[in-house]
Amino acid sequence: MTGEVAIRVSGVSHQFGEKGDARFVRALLDTSLEIARGELLCLIGPSGCGKSTLLSIIGGLMEPTAGAVEVGHQQVRGPLPREIAYVFQENALFPWSTVIENVKLGMLFQGVPRPEQEKRARHSLAAVGLADFADHYPGQLSGGMRQRAALARALSLETGILLMDEPFGALDEQTRMVLGEDLSVLLSRTEKTIVFVTHSLGEAVFLADRVAVFSARPGTIKEIIEIEEPHPRRPEFITSEKFTSIRNKLYALLHDEIRKAVSESARIDRTETGRGGSP
Amino acid sequence: MAHAPAVDDTRDLTGAAGRQGVGAFLRARPWLARLGVIVVLFAVWEIAARFFVDKMFLAPPSLVYMRLYAVFATAGVPAALRITFFELTVAFLISVAIGLSVGLAVGLSRFTHRSFMPIILLLYGTPQITILPLFVLYFGIGPASKIAFGVSHGMFPIIVTVIAGVQNIKPILLTSAKSMGASRWQIFRWVIFPHMVPSFFTGMRLAMSAVLLGVLLAELYGSSVGIGYFTTLFTQSFDPTRLLGLVSVLAAMAIALNELARRAEMRFSRWRSA
Amino acid sequence: MSGRAERSAGRWASRAVQLSFLIALLVLWYGLTTWGHVSPILLPNPLAVLHELIQVITTGEFVGDLLTTLSELAAAFTISMVLGTIIGYLISRSPYLIEVFEPLLAGIYSIPIILFLPLYSLLFGLGEPSKIALGATISFFPIVLNTIAGFGHVDRIFIISARSMGASNYQLFRRVLVPAALPIILTGLRMGFTLALLAILGSEVLASLAGLGHRIAELDEKMDRAHMFAYITFAVVIAAFLNTVVSWLEAKGKR
Repeated sequence: MTGEVAIRVSGVSHQFGEKGDARFVRALLDTSLEIARGELLCLIGPSGCGKSTLLSIIGGLMEPTAGAVEVGHQQVRGPLPREIAYVFQENALFPWSTVIENVKLGMLFQGVPRPEQEKRARHSLAAVGLADFADHYPGQLSGGMRQRAALARALSLETGILLMDEPFGALDEQTRMVLGEDLSVLLSRTEKTIVFVTHSLGEAVFLADRVAVFSARPGTIKEIIEIEEPHPRRPEFITSEKFTSIRNKLYALLHDEIRKAVSESARIDRTETGRGGSP
Repeated sequence: MAHAPAVDDTRDLTGAAGRQGVGAFLRARPWLARLGVIVVLFAVWEIAARFFVDKMFLAPPSLVYMRLYAVFATAGVPAALRITFFELTVAFLISVAIGLSVGLAVGLSRFTHRSFMPIILLLYGTPQITILPLFVLYFGIGPASKIAFGVSHGMFPIIVTVIAGVQNIKPILLTSAKSMGASRWQIFRWVIFPHMVPSFFTGMRLAMSAVLLGVLLAELYGSSVGIGYFTTLFTQSFDPTRLLGLVSVLAAMAIALNELARRAEMRFSRWRSA
Repeated sequence: MSGRAERSAGRWASRAVQLSFLIALLVLWYGLTTWGHVSPILLPNPLAVLHELIQVITTGEFVGDLLTTLSELAAAFTISMVLGTIIGYLISRSPYLIEVFEPLLAGIYSIPIILFLPLYSLLFGLGEPSKIALGATISFFPIVLNTIAGFGHVDRIFIISARSMGASNYQLFRRVLVPAALPIILTGLRMGFTLALLAILGSEVLASLAGLGHRIAELDEKMDRAHMFAYITFAVVIAAFLNTVVSWLEAKGKR
């Protein structure tokens, strides 16, 4: 982890809809952040706090209503496929193509020449442990394997920055644990800057160098916790005292915010049939 | 999912007959039971035709199928069958061409979809049989009107399913492609188009039935060289034997074509898992 | 993000496109017949059609044919509804029977049954019985198939819990099976109705002595073009009306 700044978020605010609209939502409020090159930063917070929105803004998938994001020395105004790769929570693999075809398709969009595509695809599939499943269809794979494939696709793009939006959110506890450990090993070998959104306290503490804790909606960064522990994180880290104390600290920070978010959503559900916007 | 009461589960499994032997034998082989049903139906037909219905109006299957060759021997019938088949093929191909192009044109843009979809659905829902005489008026009594009427029926299912295939794509797939830097053309070629293919084949299966209906309706209304000429001939000359034979041949052709379309649909929908 | 304003602007624009499409079509029609030298035998003037339509309605000329068509439809649909639901229910009582009969019924459904029209004409003549028979035959299949699907796929958990609360056979049928199966059956009935209407109109056009469809074919032969167009419009509107009513009933029944 160097001191160089990879991503600079300056005063970003975002709202959905217009004031007075039934669906008006203030997702993010004046958020600023500097992410160093090569660090793994976790964004954690209650539902609806805007962490996924912030990730979309950083990735150029959304333009903020106020503020700006800088990557390298350019302002982010749209997707930057050469600098930023995205892994989504939902299964974003194309169901009609095989795993390896999916991986290569990403590179096709980016503009990588064909012979290089094959080489990189094989390499990244091996790195995530899917070398034997290259010719399978996503429908034939388990949820965990599909997310590995999505990760392989993102890795093959060889970008400097990797954004992951609750990539393990749809998986069961045990798969999450295994994937978390493998991810840590994998990422220790690369020098990517990673921003990772999660709901899981344990996951955040296990993987991250720093954890940014969000307040309830409208979201803003409440506090940033540093975790000094070398990568790759060993499985024993989870049962250590250090882990538990950091996790407890996170819990304390989050507990009230989560309660606030839940009661707020209950209030909104009573007054309208659907919630507007999405965090 | 049986609706038999849970308490009486075992009774349901062994069945009301309860006999071993024939009952159990049939139960293990539903295809045999189906065959049996068909045999029974043919037997009913046979008995009704032989003993209960005037020979002018109904012929028994034994006679019909023994005399099937006579149908083909009738002057003009094989040619008429060929022409009808030709009409079906051309109508189907044109339906596919129009259906695919209109479907894509309307489905790809939210605006065109909102504007034209109600019009398309309105046209799809009208009973086209009421304007069949107009088709004959404008296209003549020959194959052209049959093809046109067939296309008129066949293009709608394809238009509607292609539009659905384009519009129903999960937004996450489009977002994912955009995040990887895909151009508009790339998104169409690699994401929208492959996603649309299974719906397209479903549309083609439906179009096959629709084209069959359209062409046959037009033939039955009045035909100079197609199969409709002979159905009218056999009807008006009170020749149930040959009429039933001809209808059987046409029914077999319809079943074969529908099955072909169904298999093509399954082949190209493989990635559409549950 | 002016979402809301943007959305309603889009909707207005779509409506404008639809309206201008309709207007363009009418203008084209009028233009072709008034200035375009298109023979009135091929395409009647829209005003003449309108005049004829008003005539037909106000003089009550349509009544005979409409009654014929509607009575054939009522008879055909009643037959297929009664037979379809009863037979469908009986088949659904046993998974074995479902397995035997469903593919057979689905297979026959895939044949364009209109093919049997010449057979029915031969057997029953050109009068109402052959139309009713054909209409009933065609509309039977979606009704029976949907009834089988509706009753046959009632979730076992409902049956088990009703039984565990002591429901009798009749109570189970009335309070569990029927409500559970009703949505699918109603859809089948709607489809059957639509098909029966099409079958009857179709067989009237092709081989008949009376009815709306026959009238259209008759006027075509007489080359009474504007009159024919008037009847086509009338028939299409009646069909649309009936289908809308039936769809509304279906939705109401599903509530």
